[in-house]
Amino acid sequence: MSPPRRLRRRARRWLAGPLVMLLTLFIALPALADSPHLESPRLATLDWTLAETLAALEAPPAAMAQLDAYHAWVGEPALPDAVIDLGLRSQPNLELLADLDPERILISPMFANLAPRLEAIAPVDTLALYTPGRDTWTEMRELTRRVADIVERPEAGERLIEDTESRLMRLEQRLGDDAPPLLVVQFMDARHVRVFGDNGLYQAVLDRLGLKNAWTGVTNAWGFSLVGIEALAGLDARLVVVEPYPAGVRETLADSGLWRRLVERSRGEPLILPPVWSFGALPSAQRFAEQLVTALENDDVR
Amino acid sequence: MSADAPAHALPSRRLTPGRACLLLGLLTAGLAVAHLASSTGLVAGLSSLVTILDDSADALVLHFAWWPRLAMALMAGGGLALAGVLMQQVLRNPLAAPTTLGVASGANLALMAASLLAPGLLALGREWVALAGGGLAMGLVFALAWRRGLSPVVVVLGGLVVNLYFGALAMVLLLFHQEALKGLLIWGAGSLAQNGWSDAAFLAPRLALGVLGAFWLLRPLAVLELDEAGARSLGVSLKWLRLAGLGLAVFLTGCVVSTVGIVGFIGLAAPNIVRLAGARRLGTRLLWSTLLGALLLATTDQLLQRYAGTLPTLIPTGATTAALGAPLLLWLIPRLRLNGSAPPRHAATSRVRHPAPRRLIVGLSLALVAMAVVAALAGQGADGWQWASPLDAGLLEWRWPRLLAASGCGLMLAVAGTLIQRLTANPMASPEILGISGGSAIALMGAIFLLPSPGNLTLVGAGVLGALVSLAVLVAVNRRSGFQPERLLLTGVAITALFEAIKAVVLAGGDPRGQQVIAWLSGSTYYVDATSAVTVAGAAALLALAAAPLARWLDILPLGGATAAALGIDLRRARLSLLLLVALLTAAATLVVGPLSFVGLLAPHMARLMGFTRARAHLAGAALTGALLMVLADWLGRQLLFPQEIPAGLVASLIGGAYFMWGMRRL
Repeated sequence: MSPPRRLRRRARRWLAGPLVMLLTLFIALPALADSPHLESPRLATLDWTLAETLAALEAPPAAMAQLDAYHAWVGEPALPDAVIDLGLRSQPNLELLADLDPERILISPMFANLAPRLEAIAPVDTLALYTPGRDTWTEMRELTRRVADIVERPEAGERLIEDTESRLMRLEQRLGDDAPPLLVVQFMDARHVRVFGDNGLYQAVLDRLGLKNAWTGVTNAWGFSLVGIEALAGLDARLVVVEPYPAGVRETLADSGLWRRLVERSRGEPLILPPVWSFGALPSAQRFAEQLVTALENDDVR
Repeated sequence: MSADAPAHALPSRRLTPGRACLLLGLLTAGLAVAHLASSTGLVAGLSSLVTILDDSADALVLHFAWWPRLAMALMAGGGLALAGVLMQQVLRNPLAAPTTLGVASGANLALMAASLLAPGLLALGREWVALAGGGLAMGLVFALAWRRGLSPVVVVLGGLVVNLYFGALAMVLLLFHQEALKGLLIWGAGSLAQNGWSDAAFLAPRLALGVLGAFWLLRPLAVLELDEAGARSLGVSLKWLRLAGLGLAVFLTGCVVSTVGIVGFIGLAAPNIVRLAGARRLGTRLLWSTLLGALLLATTDQLLQRYAGTLPTLIPTGATTAALGAPLLLWLIPRLRLNGSAPPRHAATSRVRHPAPRRLIVGLSLALVAMAVVAALAGQGADGWQWASPLDAGLLEWRWPRLLAASGCGLMLAVAGTLIQRLTANPMASPEILGISGGSAIALMGAIFLLPSPGNLTLVGAGVLGALVSLAVLVAVNRRSGFQPERLLLTGVAITALFEAIKAVVLAGGDPRGQQVIAWLSGSTYYVDATSAVTVAGAAALLALAAAPLARWLDILPLGGATAAALGIDLRRARLSLLLLVALLTAAATLVVGPLSFVGLLAPHMARLMGFTRARAHLAGAALTGALLMVLADWLGRQLLFPQEIPAGLVASLIGGAYFMWGMRRL
């Protein structure tokens, strides 16, 4: 072998190491910049509750359905701008989803009929919340752990659970013993409200805070009952109205004889809370608890 | 008692309008008294109509909710029934109802658009927004029918198309903004719940005005019982008379609908029941219908308050009357004397025959192929618009099943529509109206809501079952009458009403699964996979071929039963076999694209406007048009709002509706 050739080979070997390292760095850098957690898999989800949990675990999905509506109705925790919109929750764009090629797809049982089609794109995990007959809080904890396992961040899941529970505990201590029973409602129009009770997010939070829910009537699988506002008469409670009010309803209510009397007879002015996703998981629970307790306290001061 | 009950009727067994009202009146009063007695006691309860005696919660609810609700039920029912009589009189069509002219859907769309785009308007007053929308819709209908002197058939057709069009637009809004519009879903289901006397105070003077107007129009309108030439010879300006009658009916409907929401069926049922019970003259029909409508709604509402209060979801009264009314209508149909009154005139649509239908068919086929190629290859991806290679199997795998299913469904619905329109000689007829789509949709909703997490196979099974059940009902109710076209349509209207009612209740409840129901109802090829696409295409080819040999029947049947029988056609057999074929076609298509694709109505009309007149050519032309319409609709729906998909059924009715309105100028 002639010396020049040997030299070239040695040079190549010598150069190869750094080159490979450099290349790796170049490939890895953008990825590092994009997501702080290299280890979590690229996920797509159709469900806002799962998306909110993912965001709270700091492993936001790469793609989600109805992004705009999420911002409007769930709001926090916010999702990064890089998240790609998949279209409707009930009919995510399959061509686009296949194109994005996620590693896993997370859905709730509501979208079970899509599972076979989604399986063709990536493995699908179906995660349930608000299963009738099960304790909501226990289920929320389980959901958080399962999601955390899927994104390979179990410690973040435990942290979210502990954070939420200790926070709720502190909030509970801030409340006096004389908190009145509450009636949590959301207006659908000027004549109808959703009143929240068993098997729902708000009830679970009220339970943790040691507050009493004045609505003991039946509720549907999502923890609310749709009633005319006359159904609220005769319940000795403090009204809690979760925003948003539908357009024009606030004005109409001001003229409504029944609503005015209801407010007069209830325990003080209604507490108006900013919007919280009524079917959310731990992040929504935390926000609702915070807002509720703050509203109750502000009221005491006055 | 009715003044003109026939003297020969059996006195003891016969239902007269008066007896019907008395019965319902007693029932309402009984329920009301029972409620008052159990609430605060009868005396206190009665006095709470005027004032609040004590400060108890019961008294409060009675004064601010229960009494106004009763008043609203009576007024709304009466107003709708009055509007119904007026419309049926003017249009000379027992199927005409306050919702027929697009008033309800116009109001609905206006409210939806206002809540999304200009919520400030709603603060000014919902009723004004609703009235404006309803008025606009009606104006559109009249504009469409103006050139034909507001002839009954054209008005009804225009109303139907405007209804479909506005309904489809509303569905699109609903699909993309379900959370923001959930309150309007309650309104759409017609809840009578009240929170004070303001709505009643709004409605009462307007109704009084309407009643006065009806009284004033009574004599000229009665002339419409005669045929057109007779009326004209009496010196009545038909155009203005019709306009006044319909305008009044729309005003009444608009006022009621804007305050309590869409209350189905009363406006259709009350006038028909009264007529069936023996009221003949317009004056008596107006009086008794109004009373009966008021009592029907009030009774239903009282019963609902008594028995549905324990459910975790609201059961809106408007939807319930429709649901309860459906079986009533089914019971009534065999007893309805349809040929007693002046029959609806057939549309004398100008049928300019195309000189060479064969060439037109070749042209349509070429257009279909071209459209299919575009739909398969052009589309948007993560990086914008792309023209895919025909060899890109990964991408085409997603597209070809939808393409195939869309064309198959379009074809089937179009053939079904052609059959039913020729069979019934009724331009309003469509497979959707026959109720088969509705039946399978009811079963599907049941499956979505009652089964824990249904797979697609379960859903398909449920849909087939529903279609078969409604087919059985259709046959059972109509066998005795020999499948008379009008009765058949009425049966379909009843089943469709039941479907609409169940849909409204389901959506009003606000269950998040409603999104899934909306998605399916709006008719998307989204859920089609390779197997079902091939199945649908196969079924379409098979059933379309089965329709071809029936062309002779289809040429003759529109000439009327007597002519057909004289030409040696076994009417019963012909109608039953055509009906069965229609049912199969509709069920197969509905399972894939949902019940709302109006291709079955539009494609046959479009084919006719193009100049296909003979049955065989009409069938072929409609089939191709239907397929083309659906493929185009499916592709547009996938691209317009990418990555969101507008269901093909909705896009089809938007495209088809626009074309149809344009074509109506030539009617």
